[in-house]
Amino acid sequence: MFGPFRITNSLSGGLLWKIPWRLSPSQKFRQRKRLRAVDSVIATVTNALAKKGETLKSLDRWAAEMPTEAQMLPRDKYTMFDRKAKRYRKGIHKLPKWTRVSQRINPPGF
Amino acid sequence: MSFFRITLHRSAIGLPKRTRGVLAALGLHRRGQLVFHPVSAQFAGMIMKVKELVIVEEVDRALTKREVHDSRKPDPGFWLETARAVGLQQQQQQFQQQQQEEEVRL
Repeated sequence: MFGPFRITNSLSGGLLWKIPWRLSPSQKFRQRKRLRAVDSVIATVTNALAKKGETLKSLDRWAAEMPTEAQMLPRDKYTMFDRKAKRYRKGIHKLPKWTRVSQRINPPGF
Repeated sequence: MSFFRITLHRSAIGLPKRTRGVLAALGLHRRGQLVFHPVSAQFAGMIMKVKELVIVEEVDRALTKREVHDSRKPDPGFWLETARAVGLQQQQQQFQQQQQEEEVRL
Protein backbone atom coordinates (compact mmCIF):
# COMPACT_ATOMS: atom_id res chain seq x y z
CA MET A 1 0.00 0.00 0.00
CA PHE A 2 2.87 2.38 0.82
CA GLY A 3 6.50 2.59 -0.30
CA PRO A 4 8.24 3.00 -3.66
CA PHE A 5 6.54 0.07 -5.47
CA ARG A 6 2.94 0.83 -4.61
CA ILE A 7 0.42 0.39 -7.39
CA THR A 8 -0.85 3.73 -8.62
CA ASN A 9 -2.74 4.59 -11.77
CA SER A 10 0.24 6.21 -13.43
CA LEU A 11 2.65 3.36 -12.50
CA SER A 12 0.42 0.58 -13.79
CA GLY A 13 -1.05 2.31 -16.80
CA GLY A 14 1.64 4.69 -18.02
CA LEU A 15 0.43 8.07 -19.20
CA LEU A 16 -2.32 9.49 -17.08
CA TRP A 17 -3.83 12.93 -17.46
CA LYS A 18 -6.19 14.06 -14.80
CA ILE A 19 -8.61 16.80 -15.72
CA PRO A 20 -10.65 17.88 -12.68
CA TRP A 21 -14.38 17.51 -13.12
CA ARG A 22 -15.08 21.08 -12.06
CA LEU A 23 -13.37 24.45 -12.29
CA SER A 24 -11.31 25.89 -9.46
CA PRO A 25 -12.44 29.21 -7.93
CA SER A 26 -9.71 31.11 -9.82
CA GLN A 27 -10.70 29.47 -13.10
CA LYS A 28 -14.29 30.52 -12.42
CA PHE A 29 -13.16 34.07 -11.65
CA ARG A 30 -11.23 34.28 -14.91
CA GLN A 31 -14.17 32.77 -16.81
CA ARG A 32 -16.45 35.51 -15.44
CA LYS A 33 -13.86 38.10 -16.43
CA ARG A 34 -13.77 36.76 -20.00
CA LEU A 35 -17.58 36.75 -20.19
CA ARG A 36 -17.64 40.38 -19.07
CA ALA A 37 -14.93 41.27 -21.59
CA VAL A 38 -17.06 39.90 -24.44
CA ASP A 39 -20.08 41.79 -23.04
CA SER A 40 -18.10 45.02 -23.05
CA VAL A 41 -16.98 44.51 -26.67
CA ILE A 42 -20.59 43.94 -27.71
CA ALA A 43 -21.74 47.02 -25.78
CA THR A 44 -19.03 49.22 -27.32
CA VAL A 45 -19.82 48.12 -30.87
CA THR A 46 -23.58 48.46 -30.33
CA ASN A 47 -23.21 51.97 -28.89
CA ALA A 48 -20.86 53.10 -31.63
CA LEU A 49 -23.23 51.91 -34.36
CA ALA A 50 -26.28 53.30 -32.58
CA LYS A 51 -24.68 56.76 -32.58
CA LYS A 52 -24.59 56.56 -36.37
CA GLY A 53 -28.15 55.24 -36.40
CA GLU A 54 -27.08 51.89 -37.77
CA THR A 55 -27.65 48.37 -36.55
CA LEU A 56 -26.41 44.92 -37.40
CA LYS A 57 -28.17 41.59 -37.73
CA SER A 58 -25.54 39.68 -35.75
CA LEU A 59 -25.66 42.28 -32.95
CA ASP A 60 -29.46 42.14 -32.80
CA ARG A 61 -29.37 38.35 -32.65
CA TRP A 62 -26.79 38.40 -29.88
CA ALA A 63 -28.85 40.89 -27.87
CA ALA A 64 -32.00 38.82 -28.34
CA GLU A 65 -30.54 35.40 -27.61
CA MET A 66 -27.50 35.74 -25.38
CA PRO A 67 -27.69 36.64 -21.68
CA THR A 68 -25.03 38.93 -20.23
CA GLU A 69 -22.65 37.71 -17.55
CA ALA A 70 -24.86 39.19 -14.81
CA GLN A 71 -27.98 37.51 -16.21
CA MET A 72 -26.41 34.05 -16.50
CA LEU A 73 -26.87 31.33 -13.91
CA PRO A 74 -23.69 29.88 -12.36
CA ARG A 75 -24.76 26.57 -13.90
CA ASP A 76 -24.46 28.05 -17.40
CA LYS A 77 -21.25 29.94 -16.68
CA TYR A 78 -19.25 26.94 -15.52
CA THR A 79 -20.95 23.90 -17.07
CA MET A 80 -22.45 23.06 -20.44
CA PHE A 81 -24.88 20.60 -21.96
CA ASP A 82 -23.55 17.18 -22.97
CA ARG A 83 -25.86 14.46 -24.20
CA LYS A 84 -23.47 11.70 -23.07
CA ALA A 85 -22.74 12.99 -19.56
CA LYS A 86 -24.58 11.92 -16.45
CA ARG A 87 -27.43 14.38 -15.82
CA TYR A 88 -26.53 16.03 -19.15
CA ARG A 89 -23.94 18.47 -17.79
CA LYS A 90 -20.16 18.62 -18.02
CA GLY A 91 -17.61 21.23 -16.99
CA ILE A 92 -17.18 24.00 -19.52
CA HIS A 93 -13.40 23.40 -19.44
CA LYS A 94 -14.01 20.18 -21.42
CA LEU A 95 -14.96 22.31 -24.42
CA PRO A 96 -12.00 22.64 -26.81
CA LYS A 97 -10.53 26.20 -26.77
CA TRP A 98 -13.03 27.03 -24.02
CA THR A 99 -11.26 30.28 -23.07
CA ARG A 100 -11.62 31.66 -26.60
CA VAL A 101 -15.10 30.60 -27.66
CA SER A 102 -18.54 31.72 -26.49
CA GLN A 103 -20.72 29.06 -24.86
CA ARG A 104 -23.65 30.62 -23.01
CA ILE A 105 -26.96 28.94 -23.76
CA ASN A 106 -28.42 25.44 -23.61
CA PRO A 107 -30.37 23.50 -26.25
CA PRO A 108 -34.14 23.88 -25.92
CA GLY A 109 -35.50 21.89 -22.99
CA PHE A 110 -32.21 21.66 -21.10
CA MET B 1 -15.88 60.55 -37.57
CA SER B 2 -15.20 57.99 -34.86
CA PHE B 3 -13.03 54.92 -34.95
CA PHE B 4 -12.82 51.49 -33.38
CA ARG B 5 -9.57 51.09 -31.48
CA ILE B 6 -8.96 47.35 -31.70
CA THR B 7 -6.27 45.51 -29.75
CA LEU B 8 -5.58 41.81 -30.32
CA HIS B 9 -5.67 40.46 -26.77
CA ARG B 10 -5.81 36.67 -27.28
CA SER B 11 -3.92 34.70 -29.88
CA ALA B 12 -5.82 32.86 -32.62
CA ILE B 13 -3.54 29.80 -32.58
CA GLY B 14 -5.58 26.66 -33.18
CA LEU B 15 -8.74 28.54 -34.11
CA PRO B 16 -10.54 28.02 -37.44
CA LYS B 17 -9.08 29.43 -40.63
CA ARG B 18 -12.08 31.76 -40.98
CA THR B 19 -11.34 33.38 -37.63
CA ARG B 20 -7.67 33.88 -38.45
CA GLY B 21 -8.70 35.26 -41.83
CA VAL B 22 -10.93 37.86 -40.16
CA LEU B 23 -8.03 38.92 -37.94
CA ALA B 24 -5.77 39.24 -40.98
CA ALA B 25 -8.44 41.30 -42.71
CA LEU B 26 -8.56 43.61 -39.69
CA GLY B 27 -4.78 43.94 -39.96
CA LEU B 28 -4.07 42.09 -36.71
CA HIS B 29 -1.11 39.77 -37.01
CA ARG B 30 0.38 39.56 -33.54
CA ARG B 31 -0.85 39.75 -29.96
CA GLY B 32 -0.97 43.24 -28.48
CA GLN B 33 -1.16 44.85 -31.91
CA LEU B 34 -3.29 47.97 -32.18
CA VAL B 35 -5.33 49.02 -35.24
CA PHE B 36 -7.92 51.69 -35.94
CA HIS B 37 -10.91 51.24 -38.24
CA PRO B 38 -13.81 53.61 -38.93
CA VAL B 39 -17.09 52.86 -37.17
CA SER B 40 -19.20 51.11 -39.78
CA ALA B 41 -21.41 48.03 -40.02
CA GLN B 42 -18.73 46.24 -42.01
CA PHE B 43 -16.04 46.54 -39.33
CA ALA B 44 -18.60 45.93 -36.59
CA GLY B 45 -19.43 42.58 -38.20
CA MET B 46 -15.75 41.69 -38.39
CA ILE B 47 -15.30 42.55 -34.72
CA MET B 48 -18.30 40.35 -33.88
CA LYS B 49 -16.51 37.40 -35.48
CA VAL B 50 -13.48 37.79 -33.19
CA LYS B 51 -15.14 39.34 -30.13
CA GLU B 52 -13.51 36.84 -27.74
CA LEU B 53 -10.00 37.76 -28.92
CA VAL B 54 -10.00 41.56 -29.04
CA ILE B 55 -10.41 44.61 -26.82
CA VAL B 56 -12.45 47.33 -28.54
CA GLU B 57 -12.89 51.00 -27.68
CA GLU B 58 -14.52 53.83 -29.60
CA VAL B 59 -12.25 56.84 -30.16
CA ASP B 60 -12.71 60.15 -32.00
CA ARG B 61 -9.49 60.01 -33.96
CA ALA B 62 -7.27 57.29 -35.42
CA LEU B 63 -3.71 57.53 -34.15
CA THR B 64 -0.97 57.27 -36.73
CA LYS B 65 1.66 54.55 -36.46
CA ARG B 66 4.14 57.14 -35.24
CA GLU B 67 1.81 58.36 -32.49
CA VAL B 68 1.19 54.81 -31.29
CA HIS B 69 4.93 54.21 -31.24
CA ASP B 70 5.56 57.43 -29.31
CA SER B 71 2.83 56.64 -26.79
CA ARG B 72 4.60 53.37 -25.97
CA LYS B 73 8.00 55.00 -25.46
CA PRO B 74 9.08 55.24 -21.84
CA ASP B 75 9.96 58.64 -20.38
CA PRO B 76 13.59 59.30 -21.46
CA GLY B 77 14.41 60.94 -18.12
CA PHE B 78 16.09 63.99 -19.70
CA TRP B 79 15.25 66.87 -22.02
CA LEU B 80 17.25 68.99 -24.43
CA GLU B 81 17.65 72.69 -23.76
CA THR B 82 18.34 73.81 -27.31
CA ALA B 83 17.05 77.08 -28.66
CA ARG B 84 14.64 75.17 -30.90
CA ALA B 85 13.29 73.04 -28.05
CA VAL B 86 12.82 76.11 -25.83
CA GLY B 87 11.05 77.89 -28.68
CA LEU B 88 8.71 74.94 -29.17
CA GLN B 89 7.94 74.86 -25.45
CA GLN B 90 7.11 78.55 -25.44
CA GLN B 91 4.88 78.08 -28.47
CA GLN B 92 3.07 75.25 -26.72
CA GLN B 93 2.59 77.31 -23.57
CA GLN B 94 1.25 80.23 -25.57
CA PHE B 95 -1.13 77.91 -27.39
CA GLN B 96 -2.37 76.41 -24.12
CA GLN B 97 -2.86 79.88 -22.62
CA GLN B 98 -4.84 80.97 -25.66
CA GLN B 99 -7.02 77.88 -25.39
CA GLN B 100 -7.65 78.47 -21.70
CA GLU B 101 -8.61 82.09 -22.38
CA GLU B 102 -11.02 80.96 -25.09
CA GLU B 103 -12.57 78.43 -22.70
CA VAL B 104 -13.02 81.16 -20.09
CA ARG B 105 -14.69 83.37 -22.71
CA LEU B 106 -17.06 80.60 -23.73
